[in-house]
Amino acid sequence: MGQNSLAAAVDKLLVKQWIAENGSDASAAVPLLQAVQNEYGYLPREAMDIIVSETDITASQLFGVATFYSQFRLDPVGRYVIKVCHGTACHVSGADRLNTALRQSLGITEEGVDTASNGSYTIEDVACIGCCSLAPVMVVGDETFGNLKGADAQRSLKKHARRHGEFLPGHEEEKAEADAPQKKSSDTKKKEVRQ
Amino acid sequence: MSLQPATVIVGEGTCGIAAGAKEVFNTFRALLPNAEMKTVGCVGMCHQEVIVEIIDKRGEAFLYGKVDKKNIPSILSYHQGEGELQTDHLIRSATRMDGADYLTRQTRIVLRNVGQLDPKSLEEYRQRGGYRAIEKILKEDISPERIIEEVKTAGIRGRGGAGFPTATKWSFTRSAEGDEKYLICNGDEGDPGAFMDRSLLEGDPHSVLEGMLIAAYAIGASRGYAYIRAEYPLAVEHFGKAIEDAREAGLLGKNILGYDFAFDVKIKQGAGAFVCGEETALIASIEGSRGMPRIRPPFPAVKGLFGKPTIINNVETLANLAWIIENSGSAYAEVGTEQSRGTKVFALAGTIKRGGLVEVPMGMTVRQVLYDIGGGSSTGLPIKAVQLGGPSGGCIPESLFDTPIEYEALNATGAIMGSGGMVVMDAKSCMVDIARYFLEFTQIESCGKCTFCRIGTLRMKELLTRICDGEGTMEDIDTLEEIAHQVKASSLCGLGQTAPNPVLTTLRYFRDEYVAHVEENRCPAGVCKGLITHTIMPQSCTGCSICERYCPVDAITGVIKKPETWVIDKELCINCGMCVEVCNSDAIRVE
Repeated sequence: MGQNSLAAAVDKLLVKQWIAENGSDASAAVPLLQAVQNEYGYLPREAMDIIVSETDITASQLFGVATFYSQFRLDPVGRYVIKVCHGTACHVSGADRLNTALRQSLGITEEGVDTASNGSYTIEDVACIGCCSLAPVMVVGDETFGNLKGADAQRSLKKHARRHGEFLPGHEEEKAEADAPQKKSSDTKKKEVRQ
Repeated sequence: MSLQPATVIVGEGTCGIAAGAKEVFNTFRALLPNAEMKTVGCVGMCHQEVIVEIIDKRGEAFLYGKVDKKNIPSILSYHQGEGELQTDHLIRSATRMDGADYLTRQTRIVLRNVGQLDPKSLEEYRQRGGYRAIEKILKEDISPERIIEEVKTAGIRGRGGAGFPTATKWSFTRSAEGDEKYLICNGDEGDPGAFMDRSLLEGDPHSVLEGMLIAAYAIGASRGYAYIRAEYPLAVEHFGKAIEDAREAGLLGKNILGYDFAFDVKIKQGAGAFVCGEETALIASIEGSRGMPRIRPPFPAVKGLFGKPTIINNVETLANLAWIIENSGSAYAEVGTEQSRGTKVFALAGTIKRGGLVEVPMGMTVRQVLYDIGGGSSTGLPIKAVQLGGPSGGCIPESLFDTPIEYEALNATGAIMGSGGMVVMDAKSCMVDIARYFLEFTQIESCGKCTFCRIGTLRMKELLTRICDGEGTMEDIDTLEEIAHQVKASSLCGLGQTAPNPVLTTLRYFRDEYVAHVEENRCPAGVCKGLITHTIMPQSCTGCSICERYCPVDAITGVIKKPETWVIDKELCINCGMCVEVCNSDAIRVE
């Protein structure tokens, strides 16, 4: 799935710097992993090894923490992460459909896979972003899109890709997008902003 | 030209930004180079985002809603003496209050500053009377015991959900032995559908910080942590700035305001674990472990973070404190009811006309919140139920909407006060699906320590999935109920003890929907994918082929412009509903 090609090269000095900033006792485990993930988008094995060898945190403790909290990922992610909100309000207004639509746009068919084969986008389900009155909501990179129907999500993703020089794998969807008639109602309702 | 805008204030909470607030801000700045531009937190009228207040040169204020780049010129033309007042967008002005019901029916104590001040300005908070409460305490040398007494008079109970009296909790820690004590601000707002803590931390961080100072003084803590969800980047940023500015101004650190009182705060970002809303799990998380709860006693108030006496207070609880000290505990106690004093903030969402943050006095009925403030259903369909308290709460049916908002009264319905999520649902929401949704959530979030919670929630989820798929039996419903009671009775922490609530309340009030799924193989709301089919109706179809292009599984075929040829292959169809959404002629029937 091209996931290995997404693996990050870990900068040892950077990891050491985070350790210097956050301390090396047990309570630094979460902030250290957060710093690593901030930089690389996931937790590369190499970075975790460095933390274990340079701090008082044991491998079992660090791995235990990394696998307990839903924020942490052990696999590489695409260049952009799409967070699909699955809060209560989003659920009742059709958040599942956003997943279906986005997976279609990104050509992801295999169960359990959430990153597009070209490494562009990763779909992630999140519990609640807290913009309930804009439900259903998704966040692409750091741009929030609200009041989405499935087709709106595809269109917003397309726009995001165009603006950021990404392309979506698969050609059928591109064709469909070019052909699809302009939808009136949902387009005017849809809100979008660049942050 | 006295109507000319002198100041333009744009609401920039997370939801405002998501609705386009930054773009609106930039457009105003470009169009009005001479006006003063300001940003404030979210005033809570999410249904009106983006919200802009224009203050003209006479000092008159106009509050506009649903502002976007396109309608700014027409709004402005009135203020430039050219066009008409845009009454469709006007929420409130000195002479017009039509759209202001939403605000005037609330009682704003906690949210007193949110949406009124620039959250990044310590100066503005002080101008509005901020930090006067802590200053008064230190200046008049009011004893910690007196503060606890005052909070006891106020009668405030923990706003995180459980409703334990704040003053009682404090007095345990006050009297606990120990050289060092900790105060933790719990901002790990994990309930899907609740965002009051986010709004407070984003929109009025200093009032939370001042609340922390008061609490720390009362219990004798010198160090504090603010545990904030990492999913709330703006809240982390604003609270971080508040801490820095306060430290600079001598409001944090040693010898606060020149008196013999020391306290400092550090932010800890949560990493995404619902169970960390539980006190002992939150402590484990700050200590750097997996966030798993432990047996109580000893209670954190006596033995908590790093083994020291620790108080954990919810963001909303803390944001009440400065008001209580300034206005007295008895003034606070006058609001609300005998058992539940003060106000509660709710996040109103779902199929409601005016959604957003609302702060109401305790004792107001659910119906008043939904109809008088929320304006009723947004879909035209009657409101069927309201979900209170998220995964730990339950669904209250329409017949119980006259229940007052009080801890005990809400508990009696099987729901809970909770942290304040209030999700409104109409006939198109399936109650079995809602129960399954919450069980899926709690099952994933169960830390795995207790067998009943770890395995019980999984079995419940399996049973619910079976029922939603149309494969359930009547016996499954009984089993579900039995396991629900066992999980409730046998779990260590609040997560497991309350996880069955969504199931138990829907079984209690909407059992007919469960039975319809099982006996009639029918989902009355048309939600459960295993029980619905999608069919194209040739009499409405135009043969445009848009559904074919959006179908993710290629289940739709037909010839362009020949409606009678279009069919959905039932074998391939996954009932995702994409075709219904994109169809321009309402030609797809769901049954």
